[in-house]
Amino acid sequence: MSNLFRDRSPYSWSFRVGRGRRVLDLPLVGWLTVIWILLWGTPSWANLVNGVLVALCLCLAFPLPAVDIGLRLRPLGILRLAAYLLYDMFSSSVEVTRQIFAKGPYHAAVVAVPLRVRSDLMLTATAVAVSNVPGGSVIEVRRSTATLFLHVLDAANPGEIEGAQRQVWRMEELVARAFGTAEDIADAARPVPEGDSSP
Amino acid sequence: MNAWAEAADLAGTVLLFLGCLQCLLGVLGMLRFPDVLSRSHAATKPQTLGMLLVLAGVGLRLRHGTDVGTLALIVFFQFLTGPVASHLVARSAYRTGQTGSRGLLRDDLDPQLSDGDRREE
Repeated sequence: MSNLFRDRSPYSWSFRVGRGRRVLDLPLVGWLTVIWILLWGTPSWANLVNGVLVALCLCLAFPLPAVDIGLRLRPLGILRLAAYLLYDMFSSSVEVTRQIFAKGPYHAAVVAVPLRVRSDLMLTATAVAVSNVPGGSVIEVRRSTATLFLHVLDAANPGEIEGAQRQVWRMEELVARAFGTAEDIADAARPVPEGDSSP
Repeated sequence: MNAWAEAADLAGTVLLFLGCLQCLLGVLGMLRFPDVLSRSHAATKPQTLGMLLVLAGVGLRLRHGTDVGTLALIVFFQFLTGPVASHLVARSAYRTGQTGSRGLLRDDLDPQLSDGDRREE
């Protein structure tokens, strides 16, 4: 496993400034600097220095709350997630195209998909990933029960609904393996809720 | 080297074309689907894929480090912000009853919303 940041707390790369709650988060400063350089378009020392200065000023002027959102970057998992997303986008795009040109009425449905992960970040990331793929559009996210509500376009046969749910659960597991803590991965590896999914 | 450049140019052109086709499909979906929720399927997702393809095509034609980096940045932010917009549209469409004249085959959300006024935190 190539877990680059496996057991490293996000605080180990940041340090406090003064006595307030201003925290300099080095990965954040680096990320802002990269954006700055890309926006100027030419990687030069002047841009780098200016970028670092701007990033520092931004971090000091607009302090973010110091919470551990539980983000871990796992390169292998991210690659797998990206590959699956790409594949899924193409395959479900074909499906949506078929539905666009299909004759006759279709039956839509709103389906609840209870997730197994509990952390806010995982919930958000899964919702974002699902809603970037053609075929499932997230209507509502219930945080207390970690449930996504999907609008499924063609729900005429029951297999369609279960297929959509399975797709979300697969995505959930991939997201947890890409960005989650060890706890999230263990959560996502649990068996899916059985029987009728509506709570 | 020249052959490589030509191949990249050709691949970039093909990707640009596919991306435009994908966006066109999104527009056709907008025309064909009857209600807001279905239209949001056609309006948001194929656009994201189409944009991905167009930007990949542009990247293959530009072939310059920082340009490709900027393009990657665009894709990243598109991925992050697109779902937020489409979710808000879908959410308000659902709550104002724009679920289509045919109604929904199955609705797991309605009992939860009408179950008293207990919203999520």
